[in-house]
Amino acid sequence: MLTLWLGAYDQGLAYAGLALGTYLTLRVLNFPDLTVDGSFALGGGTAALLISKGVSVPVALLMAFGFGCLAGLATGLIHTRLGVNDLFAGILTTTGLYSITLRLMGRSNIPLTDTPRGIDRLPDLNAGFDDEWGLALSLVVLGLGLILGLLLSTDFGLALRALGNNPTMARANGINQRRGLNIGIAAANGLVGLSGALVALFQGFADVTMGIGSLILGLGMVIIGESILRPRTVPMALLAAVLGAVVFRGLIAVALALGLEPVDLKLVTALLLLVALAAGRLRIPGLSSQARSES
Amino acid sequence: MTLEIANLSWGHPLPGGGWRQLFDDFNLSCQSGQFVVVIGNNGSGKSTLLNLIAGTLRQGGGRITLGGRPLHRYRDHRRARWLGRVMQNPLEGTCPGLSIAENLRLAERRRHSGLSAQGLLGLRPSQADRRRYQDLLARLGLPLAGRLDTLVVELSGGQRQTLSLVMATLGDPELLLLDEHTAALDPKAEATVMGLTEQLVRQLGATTFMVTHSLEQALQYGDRLVMLRDGQLIGDWSAEAREGLTPASLRGLYGSAIVDPTEQPTAHAPAAP
Repeated sequence: MLTLWLGAYDQGLAYAGLALGTYLTLRVLNFPDLTVDGSFALGGGTAALLISKGVSVPVALLMAFGFGCLAGLATGLIHTRLGVNDLFAGILTTTGLYSITLRLMGRSNIPLTDTPRGIDRLPDLNAGFDDEWGLALSLVVLGLGLILGLLLSTDFGLALRALGNNPTMARANGINQRRGLNIGIAAANGLVGLSGALVALFQGFADVTMGIGSLILGLGMVIIGESILRPRTVPMALLAAVLGAVVFRGLIAVALALGLEPVDLKLVTALLLLVALAAGRLRIPGLSSQARSES
Repeated sequence: MTLEIANLSWGHPLPGGGWRQLFDDFNLSCQSGQFVVVIGNNGSGKSTLLNLIAGTLRQGGGRITLGGRPLHRYRDHRRARWLGRVMQNPLEGTCPGLSIAENLRLAERRRHSGLSAQGLLGLRPSQADRRRYQDLLARLGLPLAGRLDTLVVELSGGQRQTLSLVMATLGDPELLLLDEHTAALDPKAEATVMGLTEQLVRQLGATTFMVTHSLEQALQYGDRLVMLRDGQLIGDWSAEAREGLTPASLRGLYGSAIVDPTEQPTAHAPAAP
C-alpha cells in the first residue's frame, strides 16, 4: 500500500501543474478554460518529441511550458479580441490544437522507453532514499507553487484576482480586463503544458489523446484539495490544489488496485466530480448555475 | 477638475424595434470641485449619463473632457484612472472575495493598475499599506479599521457601501461618480453613508456627480442641483437658488411623473437600462 501511495505521490506531483493551472483559470480568473485539454497534450507531445530527438529534459520542459502559454494566449485573444464566448473560445483552440499536436508529433504516440529518464541524468543528491524522481518533482512543484504564490500576492496578482472576483469593479479601478485575462490564461496553460510534459515523462510516452478530460481532472483535483484544506488564503489554496492532485491520483491508484478497469477511469473521474458538484457545497465559477450571482 | 460635456448624443434600440435617442446635443459644464446632484425619473438618463462619463457606455457622439483631458477617447478602464465610482448595488462596487485591505489597495493603485511590470515589485498590501488604511479608516471613525483582513463578502450592505465610498476617494480621483449609492440601504445606513459622503467629498475637493432618487437628499446635499427628463436638462439650481425649493415644488416643476421612493416606497422601480 505504501508503494502505491508513493507512486501516487510522484504521479500527483506530475499532475500538480494541471491542478494549479485549473485553479488559476477557474478560481482566480473565474474563466472556465477548456483549452487545458489541448494544452496538456501539446505539452506532452512537445516534450516527448524533443526528448526523443535528444534535447535535454529541462529545455524540453521549458518548451512545453512555452507552447502551453501560446495555446492559452490563443484562447485569451479569441475571447477578448473577437468577443467569442469563454467556453467556446477554449473548445475552438482545443479542436485546432489536436491537429497541431498531431502534426508536431508526426504520429499519434511517441514512446520514451528507449530514452533515459531525465532524472537519471541528475547528479546524485545523496538524499538518503531512492525516490529521486519524487524528490526532483517535489522541488519543481515547490518552486512553481512558491513563484505562483508570490506572484498572486503582488499588485499584479491582486489585479488578476479582482478581475475574477468582480470584473466591473476591476475595470472601474483601472484594470485592463483583456490584458489580465490574456496573461492569466496563458500562464495557466503554460503550467498545464508543463504538467503534460511531466506526465509524459513519468508514464514513458506521449499520446495525442492524453489531454482528453484534463479540465475535469484538474477541477476534481482542485475540489478535493479544497474540501480537505478549506483554504481562505492564496498560499493555502495553492497547497490545496497540489494536495488535491496527489490525493486524486491516490484514489485512482486505489481504485485500480481494487480491480477497476483502466478503460473506466474517465467515467469514474466524471462521476466523482459530478457527486462533488451535486453535493452543492462547492460553488464552481462558470460551471454551476448560481455561479455568477454572487460576484 | 472641470468637467465639460459637449454635444453628447446617445441612443439605444427599443425592444419592439425602433430607436430611442435619449441624449441629443446634450451639454453640461461643471466647475472644478463642484458637488452636483442629479435628479430625475427612471429613464430620464441620470444613470446613463454617469455610465457615459465613466465609459461603461460609449457615447454616440460629442465630447466629454475632464480638466481638458478627452475622456471620450479612452476605454472605461483607462478613464477609471481619474474617476472614483460608487455603484448603486453594494455587491458591484467591491470585490467580495478579497479582503478589505486588498480592496483598498486596488483602489489606491487606480492610476497605475497592477497589470504592469511595476506591479510585480513587492508583496501587497504591505505592512506600511495596512498601517495607512488602518489610520485612514480610524480617522473616519469607521469600525472597519480593525477588520482589514475580513473578506468583503462577510460585510453588510451598508458596510460594503461605506468601503466602496472610501475606495472611490482613494487614488486621487479628479471626478467622483455616485450612482444612487444609498438606494439599496436602510434609513440608518443611508444616513451614515451620506454623512461620510459629505465629509469625504469636502476633504477631497474633487468634482462630484451624485445621482439620487431622493428629493430630500437633493435639497440637502451638494452645491448645485440639476434635473433631467428624457435626456434633457430641465432644471439647474445653485445652492442659493435651491433654498426656496421643496420636494413638492420640485415635483410640480418636473410634472406628475417624478417619484420619490422615500415618500412612496411601493413605487420604487428598477433602474433604467
